[in-house]
Amino acid sequence: MDTDLLSDTFVELADTMVADFDVIDFLHLLTDRSIRLLAASAAGVMLADPRGELRVAAASSEEAGLLELFQLQNDQGPCLECFRTGRPVTASDLAGMAPRWPRFAQAAARAGFATVEALPMRLRDQVIGALNLFRTEPGPFEAADLRIAQALADVATIGLLHERNVRRRDTVAEQLQAALNSRVVIEQAKGKLAERLSIDMDRAFSMLRDYARAANLRLTDVARDFVDGASPDFPPPVRRQPGR
Amino acid sequence: MTDGRSLALWGQVAAHAAAHGQRPSVEDVCAVAVSSAQLGGGWVVAARGGDPDFVMCVTDPVSEQLAEVQLMLGEGPCHDVLASAGPVLASDLGDAESVRRWPAFTAAAGQLGAAAVFAFPLIVGAIRAGVLGLYRGAPGPLPGRQLGDLLILADAATVMLLGSAYGDAEDGDGVAVDGQAPDLALHRAEIDQATGMLTVQLGVPAAEAFARLRAYAYSQDRRLADVAGDIVARRLRLGRNPGQDGGP
Repeated sequence: MDTDLLSDTFVELADTMVADFDVIDFLHLLTDRSIRLLAASAAGVMLADPRGELRVAAASSEEAGLLELFQLQNDQGPCLECFRTGRPVTASDLAGMAPRWPRFAQAAARAGFATVEALPMRLRDQVIGALNLFRTEPGPFEAADLRIAQALADVATIGLLHERNVRRRDTVAEQLQAALNSRVVIEQAKGKLAERLSIDMDRAFSMLRDYARAANLRLTDVARDFVDGASPDFPPPVRRQPGR
Repeated sequence: MTDGRSLALWGQVAAHAAAHGQRPSVEDVCAVAVSSAQLGGGWVVAARGGDPDFVMCVTDPVSEQLAEVQLMLGEGPCHDVLASAGPVLASDLGDAESVRRWPAFTAAAGQLGAAAVFAFPLIVGAIRAGVLGLYRGAPGPLPGRQLGDLLILADAATVMLLGSAYGDAEDGDGVAVDGQAPDLALHRAEIDQATGMLTVQLGVPAAEAFARLRAYAYSQDRRLADVAGDIVARRLRLGRNPGQDGGP
């Protein structure tokens, strides 16, 4: 365990009251650090939509097989079970997964994963989503690692919902919907950039994120301006000031 | 998990339209939203250029005034939802938070007899079509199930607004709602990615790209998510004219 990285991560996840806070960038931080700290191969965050659907908010890779694994979990899988029960769900080998979630087990095998862990993201009595960890080797995650993963998920949940503002259940719904729409904006921007430059979605995401960081802009704002703008070029050309 | 619920709600919208001998429209969605969540009334405001712009439909005179007064004041839940991109659930317009947030609107709403206003953005990512507004005469939060239903109905209204804005110009009723539930598997990454790709392929704004994607899926009698998957995998390109659609 890299303890410096661990403490940095807690500080970063707690630091959400900043002007340029971006929810999708924030959840990507959670997935990136979960992989590096916890010997996971992939990670993702699913959030519960009040329509009754679990939706991918962030994934450590845009690889299609991984995204399919998340989407599938609206029907079956550890994430859905974790969301429904509010408890962590472990599946540490494919043979154990198959009887409980046959389609999920097949998709996990295709994507090359043997171990899956789903950890609830809870605010008091309400489960708002789950952090999913995947590993290519069979066998459970270390108990100590899982305690850390749950702590990361807890800190992220509070950060995500701007705890100080959340007094009512209504506000949670308002903020979750806004977060989920941010993800849609980013997918649209990825598509536009991928088409323009003939690159894959993973690369398009990295370009958007790197540009936002370098320019000190919110990722969602960068993505929205790009999708809204008439120009297909990225970074968008600097607009001439009228009258000059 | 949501398919059953969205089909049931869509059935109500279609039945409401049929009772008036018409094709389903945002007016029917608005009416079903009001009845299913037991509210006092509702309205739909269309957005142009990112701001609420003009009133598309209202279910009753109070709703009409609530919609108009927000446009006039430039303040209220309907303005905030397009900025935040999430719903605004003002379950008690008399509480301190609401009064501080919308001093002029809360005063006007009180005189009109509205104690709670719920506003839903009609948006898909960066695409802003409008706002669905609803009011109740008594304060109190929306139960979770009603909130879910209203979000599903807001999706339907979004699709209809975008379809009527772009589809009719092309081939009559390519995107117009066709008696089936609007494909509420809206929330798949490929659909949003394909919309972004089409803005470049077709050289059109995102709202139009989204309408063209739906029109193509409808004309080919294919699921929206499947068509989007083909575009993302670069197995399918759409041409600048609908007749030119085909392989890569």
